[in-house]
Amino acid sequence: MGISLVYLVLIVLIPLSMLFLKSATLSWGEFFSAVFSGRTLAAYKLTFGASFAAALLNAIFGFLVAWVLVRYRFPGKRLVDALVDMPFALPTAVAGISLTAIYSQNGWIGKLLVPFGIKAAFSPLGVVIALTFVGLPFVVRTLEPVLTEIDQEVEEAAASLGANRWQTFCRVIFPAVGPALFTGFALAFARALGEYGSVVFISGNMPFRTEIVPLLIMTKLEQYDYAGATAIALVMLVAAFSLLLVINLLQAWTRKRQALR
Amino acid sequence: MSIEVQNITKIFGNFTALKDLSLHVPTGELVALLGPSGSGKTTLLRIIAGLETADAGTVLFHGEDVENKHVRKRKVGFVFQHYALFRHMNVFENVAFGLRVRARKKRPSENEIRERVHKLLNLVQLDRMAARFPSQLSGGQRQRVALARALAVEPKVLLLDEPFGSLDARVRRELRQWLRHLHDELHITSVFVTHDQEEALEVADRVVVMNEGRVEQVGTPDEVYHHPATPFVYNFLGNVNLFHARIEKGKAYIGELAIDLPHAQPDSESAMVYVRPHLLDISRARGENGDLRARVVHINLAGSIVKVELLSEKGDTIQVEISQERFSQLLLKKHEDVYVTPKEVRIFPQDYSI
Repeated sequence: MGISLVYLVLIVLIPLSMLFLKSATLSWGEFFSAVFSGRTLAAYKLTFGASFAAALLNAIFGFLVAWVLVRYRFPGKRLVDALVDMPFALPTAVAGISLTAIYSQNGWIGKLLVPFGIKAAFSPLGVVIALTFVGLPFVVRTLEPVLTEIDQEVEEAAASLGANRWQTFCRVIFPAVGPALFTGFALAFARALGEYGSVVFISGNMPFRTEIVPLLIMTKLEQYDYAGATAIALVMLVAAFSLLLVINLLQAWTRKRQALR
Repeated sequence: MSIEVQNITKIFGNFTALKDLSLHVPTGELVALLGPSGSGKTTLLRIIAGLETADAGTVLFHGEDVENKHVRKRKVGFVFQHYALFRHMNVFENVAFGLRVRARKKRPSENEIRERVHKLLNLVQLDRMAARFPSQLSGGQRQRVALARALAVEPKVLLLDEPFGSLDARVRRELRQWLRHLHDELHITSVFVTHDQEEALEVADRVVVMNEGRVEQVGTPDEVYHHPATPFVYNFLGNVNLFHARIEKGKAYIGELAIDLPHAQPDSESAMVYVRPHLLDISRARGENGDLRARVVHINLAGSIVKVELLSEKGDTIQVEISQERFSQLLLKKHEDVYVTPKEVRIFPQDYSI
């Protein structure tokens, strides 16, 4: 207990409280102008919007991947299983570079998108792609154990009671995995908010258009505007913390509901 | 609605679960499929339900081929061994599920649903629990909810897969009596799977004894218990003593003991004699036909009958059940030498191993 507390204080609490202290050197006026300037607001919008879109995509397709991994047996399943964890292990910069190479106008996939007038790399879409990549394992790995637990018999029971596949999914499967899906979504979202490495390569980093908040913080630091950087960082900290709090509350609530199962 | 199963074969990989099996379940009967694990009884039940498809053969409901009918359309109520309740729904919603998923035109109104569900919950004596979640119920209660849920859609056939298999012994006894009463009330054609012979004999109108994907015998509990058609049935239903015997001139010999055969059988060196423990008697005096000498090894006085374990001279274990009365007449003690006499035997000419 004592050790873990000391550990938490050293690793998490002290560095984070430095954010508050450093930001406190700013006056309210300076703080607001740092936090709510036009460029910062655009960056928030992009970061939160793209993270949300990426988390949503992951929730949908991560669900499918988890479903296939749990329910089906096919050759190469272990390989696919390992592949899901790749975004965890791969340095995000590597991911960023390879995604850029593929989605840029001359890249394999980027080339195919050009005729449709879609610009993947160096646009907000590119940010979403990179964030989807890093968030995938969160959804898949939170859903897998819950899907494993759903007995196939429950589906058979629903069918014998006259439910079609769609009704079975909506009324039986989805409510059962809903909380886990939301947790996975929130984790992917939180991860995307903090992502830096992969995005800087694919986004192009144009202020007001494709500049994400973490990059803005880096830029401020490079300009020796430490207080301004920490002020924005503080906003992100509060956002990330409230998100994680919601996840925890949600998990506690689900656990309580499942306690006696 | 009657169920007719005709020449069903089902193969999983290189395991044949059902071999050309046929079976008739008359309308309104409660039938038990009894057999050891791997005998194909659950597979048969799932094929009847439409949860599994047969590789060959047909299933008829009331004379109508249901092969192409999805389980959704077959109007069967299916009860699973592990309940398969919807965990995120309370008891009421679980039972109401089958009514709520109906097409709008056929769906009863909210009031009708409420009425029907409460009626069913009363039937299974769980009306007070309507707001509880499955996790807050005991195993027996969960299975009753599962049954109410299956009955809610007014099935023509009720299929139960080892319904009491995961409950403890006392609850199991209670529930199976309750199922019997329920069936007497509803008269819905029902098939239940069990590996517990006591359960099958106590509850069912008719018992189907299955072994290795085939039907060994179909009959009333009385018939299959007292007139087993095959050595397997004899062995599977209740305890039995096995003796090797030779048949000579219309008599069977177990060691010195000679038994008159009820009907003539060809001479044989390797016949098997089956005797139920309660059809053996113990005496101190030698009988006329020669007896089986044996030594008392163990005496179990607990229960309504006395169970005595003996060791024959050949080294076979013999189990005998005698009344408390008879026991007090005999004053048996451990390590005593006595004679064992069969009152009734069943002889199968061929050597048969389980």
